[in-house]
Amino acid sequence: MRAVFVKALADLRRRRLQASVIFLTVLLAVGTGTMALSVMTQTRDPYQTAFEAQKGAHLQVYFDGVTDRQALASTPSLLGASAFGGPYPSTTVEFQHGTRKFSLDTFGRDNPGGDVAVLKITSGHWPVSNSEIVVTRSFADLNHISVGDSVKVVSVTQKPVLTVAAEVVDIDEGSADLSSQHAWVLSSAIPALTPTTPNSSFYEMDYRFATDPSSSQLAGYVDRLRASLPPGSVGGSVNYILIRNIFNITNQILTSVLVAFSVFALAATAAIVANLVTGIVISSYREIGIMKAVGFAPRQVVAVFVLQILAPAVAACLVGIPAGAVASQPLLANSSQALGLAYVPSFSIGLDLLALVGALFIVALAATLPALRAGLMKPVAVLATATAPRGASGRWLRLLANRVRLPQPIVLGVGDAFARPLRSGLTLIAILLGVATVTVAIGLPRSFQKINDSETSAGNMQVIVTRSSGFPDSEVTRILNAQPETARVVALTLQNFDVPGIGDPVNTRVFRGDASHLGYMLVSGRWFSGPGEVLAEKALLHDANLKVGDTFTATANGKPVQLHVVGEVFDVSNLGHELFMDWSTLAEVSPESSPEVYYVTLTPGANVAAYIRRVAAAEPDFIDVRPNDTGLIGPVKIIDSVLVILAIVIALIAIGGVFNTLLLNTRERVRDTATLKAVGMSPREVMVMVAASAGLLALIGGLVATPLGVVMNRLLLDVVNSSAGNDTPPIGYAAFNPLELLVILLLGVAVSMLAAMIPGRWAARTNVVEVLHAE
Amino acid sequence: MSELVRLTDVTKVYQGGITGALNGVSVTVEKGEFTAIMGPSGSGKSTMLNLVAGLDRPSSGTITVGGTDLSKLGEAGLARFRRDHIGFVFQFFYLLPNLTALENVLIPAQLKGNTATGRGRELLEQLGIPEVADKYPARLSGGQQQRVAIARALINNPTLLLADEPTGALDTHSGEQVMELLGGLHRNGQTILLVTHDAKLATRNAARVISVMDGKIVDDARLESPEKAPSEVIRMRSEDPTALGPRKAQETK
Repeated sequence: MRAVFVKALADLRRRRLQASVIFLTVLLAVGTGTMALSVMTQTRDPYQTAFEAQKGAHLQVYFDGVTDRQALASTPSLLGASAFGGPYPSTTVEFQHGTRKFSLDTFGRDNPGGDVAVLKITSGHWPVSNSEIVVTRSFADLNHISVGDSVKVVSVTQKPVLTVAAEVVDIDEGSADLSSQHAWVLSSAIPALTPTTPNSSFYEMDYRFATDPSSSQLAGYVDRLRASLPPGSVGGSVNYILIRNIFNITNQILTSVLVAFSVFALAATAAIVANLVTGIVISSYREIGIMKAVGFAPRQVVAVFVLQILAPAVAACLVGIPAGAVASQPLLANSSQALGLAYVPSFSIGLDLLALVGALFIVALAATLPALRAGLMKPVAVLATATAPRGASGRWLRLLANRVRLPQPIVLGVGDAFARPLRSGLTLIAILLGVATVTVAIGLPRSFQKINDSETSAGNMQVIVTRSSGFPDSEVTRILNAQPETARVVALTLQNFDVPGIGDPVNTRVFRGDASHLGYMLVSGRWFSGPGEVLAEKALLHDANLKVGDTFTATANGKPVQLHVVGEVFDVSNLGHELFMDWSTLAEVSPESSPEVYYVTLTPGANVAAYIRRVAAAEPDFIDVRPNDTGLIGPVKIIDSVLVILAIVIALIAIGGVFNTLLLNTRERVRDTATLKAVGMSPREVMVMVAASAGLLALIGGLVATPLGVVMNRLLLDVVNSSAGNDTPPIGYAAFNPLELLVILLLGVAVSMLAAMIPGRWAARTNVVEVLHAE
Repeated sequence: MSELVRLTDVTKVYQGGITGALNGVSVTVEKGEFTAIMGPSGSGKSTMLNLVAGLDRPSSGTITVGGTDLSKLGEAGLARFRRDHIGFVFQFFYLLPNLTALENVLIPAQLKGNTATGRGRELLEQLGIPEVADKYPARLSGGQQQRVAIARALINNPTLLLADEPTGALDTHSGEQVMELLGGLHRNGQTILLVTHDAKLATRNAARVISVMDGKIVDDARLESPEKAPSEVIRMRSEDPTALGPRKAQETK
């Protein structure tokens, strides 16, 4: 065994460049893989930890303000809940902070603790007077509100001023950039904050169960409540599964992306290792014969080759695994931060060991298979075998190149590209994965941008106006229509509809005006054009067992209404459980409704800031006017950044693969190169020959990889959108134009030819005399 | 005959060498000559050939081939020079294994930008191996491979044909056939410089034999006819009379 180690180490010292290639490619691949594993396995933990620590509510239900409190108090035992909170008197508070106005469902609660839905105070203190209010940390961060700030309540006549007493993390709601937020005051403060208009107050109750209920169980609980209380008592509900999904959606998407690309990175690395070992075996035929002649057993010969590959691979793992674990921390910190958990870097030794064993297994397998060839060869055969490839491989390429009258160095280079088909095939795999990944890294962020633009109506709407409940809709409309820059106004309200088959009320966007121009993407069908027509998202259609063209009866405010699905719309709010409809449909069941939000499209060239100032000045107290924020949301920015890093990693691995192949080829063919120089090939022509070899591999790899990348882009987009309860609309796939794909292809060729420079120079500098007379 | 090759005081010392592979050698080769360079292993004969081909550079001295001072050419220039003026035949043939025989023959012409397929086939025909054109070197005998190598060396109508131990890797019969070919080429006007350690081969075929030992020319004999034994030839004087050795001393006695 000592002899095996001695030989392996000696070979490793001799092949420092190849060892470096192995080290770098394994480092990149295993680092990426460890990052993916870390994110994947620890995604649920932060939320679950916080949920348990804060005794999260499995179910939150909103009840009508006139519901009997005693009846509400009996609901926990009706449902079999192990703990409950409330009933909390609640109302919707509209308040002003600076130039902004907000509307938050506000609960009257006298302490943040209790048996369920504990609120974790991250700064400040729980209110001690009726003039204090508590907001979520997420809401405060998003809207630049701090503890100690004053807010003026505008939804009641007295317009009391409240002080922000604390920021909390509420495990039972998502982050502010993805979902609406709550606020809290003392229960004695609620009456003064409740408008006098009907239906301005409600109750909220939290329920927690001994074991985590499933979606169907949660739906059953809501049905039971509806059955036990007077009709119309149950206003709506939110469950922990939806909230958890919203919290985890970023990491879920990231996990999908990371796992997919980690597999690519490992596959590319395996291809490179196999190529390298095959090349080393071929160049060592004579050595193998000598080893066998002096007494190395076949398995010992195999061990020599495998060991010299495993050594740099182990070194790479020792660096790459900790690096990957460290690189995953910002992603995990992002989750903890959102949950109000004190971020504690978490490292799993078990996970790291799994990554180490997995990586080394793949590398060892990739090395052993070609090394077996060395072990099984007969000594006489290997001593006599030439190193350079023989035979017809690549001939048809040379003939084709000759036919189109390419210069001879290019003809020879092109033929050499496939002189060893297995090596070329493995190199193509590495190139394929590299180019495909770069294609996805360009396309996916663009697709996300399209989605973002659709979600924010970017380019289609410039100003958002929100009306306080006490201010008439007609006044808002008058103010907006009086502005010369107003081109179009689409008003919006949200209404819950009960849909058969769906346990929770379905949030519905009701538009007044022509909303088809707001930029929402249709997956199929058409925009609604009259009463009773609705659009739905994929998750809702699936869960309600509906499809485009179906008709069903929904209920709102206790009144049934027949709805006809005319199209599937794309929107990630509420993770795909939404309806879109026209105002005329809502008017059938709720004629008294008024919109709260107004989307304003300005005339081309209008000064948005000036418009906002003018409209806000027209009614400073009761309307909030702000520019449409079309920036990418936090989760998308994170995913885009990770994609770029992954693309760079895998592209580097692919370049390493090309470099490695050319190095093997040029070293194997050193005698041929010397012969060509002897018969008149200049050093520059030698470099052209080597570059042509690389260029052809990259061209073929790119021609396959670029459309593959487009397909992968589509698949990943489908996975991401599916996580958010949506199908991908056709326009979402259109992330590339043909010219760009050509540029990607050509860039791949150029980079490969650059990677050929070092082996090319080495070949060009071949000393003819030394090589040819070394025989 | 006009002068084709001139070496003037050429020395070649390899890195780490104490004495030179060539030491102050001066010699000329006339156009149309068949010159054999003979000597034991390590004598410097192959070094001389490599320098004339521009495959290596002397440590000092000048080499002129066909009026071109090789020291004035860069690597690209030397490559063009070899392409245009030199045909090289190696001991171990050095055919490119993944090209057919014809493709190997055509390489130098194609490097010049010529197709020359007809001429390639013609050469193979002249050398008696037309049937191997589409075969790969691995399927050819040693003699056939060497003929293909000779055809490759001739494809560009070189001014000078250099052969480094062309029969060294062949059996006797194949070796004789190759030498006959070279003889035939010489009779048609080809200037040939042949390196060999085989005195019999040298004197039987070449019209001039330059003997090299320890990097110096020790004998330079023009043969009236190839069949004459070395002792009966007219000798040319070298620059260093002591380099002639015992024979010269005997004559002056």
